[in-house]
Amino acid sequence: MKGFSLREHVPSIVVTALSSAFGVTLLLATGAIATSLRADDVTGSSATVAFLLSFIAWVFIAISVYVGSVVTANTFATIIAGRTRTIALLRLIGSSAATQRRAVAREGLVVGLIGAFLGAAVGIGIAAALIAVGLALRVIPDLSYSYFELPTVLPIIAVVLSTWLASWVGSRRVLTVSPMAATGAAQELTIEQARARHGRNSSAVILFLAGIGILLLGVGIGLVTPLGVLVGMVGGLLSFTGLVLGAHLVMPPVLRLVGRAFGHSASSRLAAENALRYPERSSRTTIGLVIGVTLVTMFGVALESYKAMLISAVANDPAYYAGIEQSFNVTIAIFTVITGFSALIAAVGMVNNLSLSVLQRTRELGLLRALGFTARQVRSMILAESAQLTVASVLIGLVLGTFYGWAGAQSILGSMNGIGTLVPPAIPVPLFLVLIGAAAALTIGASIAPSRRATRVSPVAALAFE
Amino acid sequence: MQSTSPSTGLVARVDSLTKQYGSTDNRVTALAEVTLGIRAGEFTAIMGPSGSGKSTLMHIMAGMDSATSGSVWLGDTEVTHLGDTELTLLRRRRIGFVFQSFNLVPTLDIAGNIHLPFELDGRTPSTDEQGWIDQLIDSLGLKDRLRHRPHELSGGQQQRVAIARALATRPDLVFADEPTGNLDSRTSREVLSLLAAAAHDYGQSIAMVTHDPIAASYADRILFLADGRLVSDLPRSSASDISRFMLEMEAAR
Repeated sequence: MKGFSLREHVPSIVVTALSSAFGVTLLLATGAIATSLRADDVTGSSATVAFLLSFIAWVFIAISVYVGSVVTANTFATIIAGRTRTIALLRLIGSSAATQRRAVAREGLVVGLIGAFLGAAVGIGIAAALIAVGLALRVIPDLSYSYFELPTVLPIIAVVLSTWLASWVGSRRVLTVSPMAATGAAQELTIEQARARHGRNSSAVILFLAGIGILLLGVGIGLVTPLGVLVGMVGGLLSFTGLVLGAHLVMPPVLRLVGRAFGHSASSRLAAENALRYPERSSRTTIGLVIGVTLVTMFGVALESYKAMLISAVANDPAYYAGIEQSFNVTIAIFTVITGFSALIAAVGMVNNLSLSVLQRTRELGLLRALGFTARQVRSMILAESAQLTVASVLIGLVLGTFYGWAGAQSILGSMNGIGTLVPPAIPVPLFLVLIGAAAALTIGASIAPSRRATRVSPVAALAFE
Repeated sequence: MQSTSPSTGLVARVDSLTKQYGSTDNRVTALAEVTLGIRAGEFTAIMGPSGSGKSTLMHIMAGMDSATSGSVWLGDTEVTHLGDTELTLLRRRRIGFVFQSFNLVPTLDIAGNIHLPFELDGRTPSTDEQGWIDQLIDSLGLKDRLRHRPHELSGGQQQRVAIARALATRPDLVFADEPTGNLDSRTSREVLSLLAAAAHDYGQSIAMVTHDPIAASYADRILFLADGRLVSDLPRSSASDISRFMLEMEAAR
């Protein structure tokens, strides 16, 4: 099917462009740093440092591509849910489900290509600007820096392929659309339920528990040697993968709890129900944000704990103290920006998802307006939905991130001042405040466009639309 | 012909109501100078072929659409000049709706759907109102269904929930838009008997838009619209009389 509406895909293009711009900028920037280090190779270790830098860059690129894919798959699933009627009609006329799904995947490929190349152009521009600023401020030596290297192509390709794959995964629902849905007999949207998938559920639980076990083992080993962090890292990765796999088991109960906290007015009760209406969808929407917030919090707490420990060790030396304080604050800021990028991508996904879910509820909103829901009540309902999604994800992210960050700091530092020191988790207060502020901004920001659209719904038009 | 009845005893009326759509050069007139009244405590059917303007009339009387000219009254309230919030409150407190496609809120259970008009008002029903709701739930046979979701119920049961929701606030007027359009004939008869009983037993004023002569035969009074005009006003009639009248009307055009 040609001529699909590109407008529907703008949010996905934004997400892919963000991932690709991030990857390209990070690679070029670390490349430039490596070049400037090579020119001034005093210690002879520039090759090792360059390798480490590009390794770290790739880890973060992988994370952002992963978050981007989760978001894109979710967006595509939501778009497909809205197209059920059209797909059913085409199936009725004789198009096969496979053909329909291939068409959706083709859209995914186009979205990936547009987004990746737009993002790459933006990324090269940002890297060039960074290098120009660095040169002007004489932070980096005056050398010839490359604005495009062969490895730069890799994140672009990764973004295109992952978007393609995400659209394929997200279009799974096409296969379940029955031609009967076109006849109008199926009035309401089918309830997408978190079906009992025992295989996936049990592997999620096993991964999570085993991961936590290994993580605690790493913390234990960390009391003797800093190498415990390597064991801990494996445990962290396993447990987090388990959590992402089992998001549909974790998120709905948390969303329900948060929803209850908003009180019992008609708008907040309806909002609570709406956020839980498609448990799979809201899990996927929020898990991206959970990943982002967890990462930011984890690095923040680990570094803050490290800082607290070093500061207590050099408490008698005020000159040292000031130096450590400053360099740590800069490091925390840099890590927050880099990890915060995944959170930004996830936030775009959330905004988009809320918009689509409101768009697909036009008829129901019309009904509520006909029955006497004021425009203000509609607005507060959508704001409550948005708040519920953000509050739930940020809460989980903060708790998880604090735990992982503490486990990391403990396993590295536990053996530093003699064997068996316990490191209390230090909370980076400014970072937490920024996260909470960003969450509040996201809540309001995500609800603006959908509320405007929802309050413009005329009851007559919405109810007449069969 | 009784369309000139005095305005006392009328729960709603429209006076020289005109509704036009489209721009000046491409104007479609849905309603042309319609004047009529809906009597309190009666079950009134509004009939007419597709495009006769009956749905538009209902939408405007219910405060969901605006009039091009003329005035619309619900009791002593002039509806035409109310703002969006006032119209919303009017619909919430003084009007009930029963739709062809039931239109229950899918995320709420049956009890939640019936209580929705009160919740929208931010209050719980008074003891008196709760007694009335319990009576409705009982007589509509919904007692065992209160914790179910709409999609777990048959069409007839969903429509009974919609009727309970419409009657719960004891509104001035209930609008029913083709309430039997999605139901089989046996369930249709049930739903129509329920509406007729609500009018006779509880004095509930009901205006039903339909093009089905059988549905209209349950009403106390039948108003006929054609091409945006009121063409006839019949007392209670049999389905065959209504059908004959409709055929004659078609032939005369």
